[in-house]
Amino acid sequence: MIYAIASLVIGALVGYFCNITIPVEYSKLFSVALLAGFDAVFGALKAIFLKTFDNLNFLTGFFSNTLLAALLVYLGDNLSIDLYYVALFVFGLRIFKNLSYLRHCLIKK
Amino acid sequence: MLSLKHTRLSIVLACFILGFMIAVQFHSTQNSLKYLTQYQRTEELSQRLLQTERERDALKEQIKNGTAVQTTNLTDSAIVEAGISAVEGPGIIVTVADSSKKTMGDDNVNLYVVHDEDMLRIINELRAAGAEAISINGQRVVATTEIRCAGPTVSVNNERSAPPFEIKAIGDPKALENSLKMRGGVIETLGVWGIKIDVSTKEQLTIPAYNHANDFKYAKSVEKGEEK
Repeated sequence: MIYAIASLVIGALVGYFCNITIPVEYSKLFSVALLAGFDAVFGALKAIFLKTFDNLNFLTGFFSNTLLAALLVYLGDNLSIDLYYVALFVFGLRIFKNLSYLRHCLIKK
Repeated sequence: MLSLKHTRLSIVLACFILGFMIAVQFHSTQNSLKYLTQYQRTEELSQRLLQTERERDALKEQIKNGTAVQTTNLTDSAIVEAGISAVEGPGIIVTVADSSKKTMGDDNVNLYVVHDEDMLRIINELRAAGAEAISINGQRVVATTEIRCAGPTVSVNNERSAPPFEIKAIGDPKALENSLKMRGGVIETLGVWGIKIDVSTKEQLTIPAYNHANDFKYAKSVEKGEEK
């Protein structure tokens, strides 16, 4: 857990001082990818609590989810289907669900 | 397969990437706020407003100085003549309105509406009767003032106005009134067509200043004594 938080902070610092800015036209894709990343991490937390955590599953899920989310939104943009909102909805819902599950688990302990 | 080391490594990696993405996203959101078109637009507009206000103040100051210099050099009658300041005094107010009569048969409709020529006649008559300052619908009549037909409106000092016209004239109220009302005068001839002209004498009325720039490009004044 400590490793996870430490690496999160380090990553944030590196990202902040890299001074990278996402162009406005890609910010949508990036935010969806970020949300997918969040979802994967919270899903992993839940899996750890459930003791069903699988390393390979987590890693592939993390990368494929972020990339797929961005790709789908990009496709949707080009087909003028607002998949952006769908992705937001789905990932947001899952994040909240996982969070509430984690809370349950913590209270039960 | 599920070694602890690998798990830890993958979590660290994922968290690192996540943190990186959060920071980048945060950074670009902060930056893009500045460049959002809306913000840019407001920024631009407020900048322009500020600049224009500054310009306005500078011009106001200039006008203040300019008129101060001019008026000190000019005699009172010249100020009235040039329309630099508003003037007040006794006079008359003439309102001229289109005819409400129905046109008859093949009569020309143009005869029933107020024309620039009618206005010119009235102005001319007033001047002949000794009017010292005249305005038409708030536009001071000075030496360069035109009175001309502009479609359905009449243009005075390049400002268009539509009937009814309100002509204010400062002078001897009695003489001014009589000049218009005399037999065979303006009111009688225009009255034939139903054009309504009301004359009311006033003890005190104000005529605004000429509110356009006096910018002479071609005419240059010659000092006295230089004349050939």
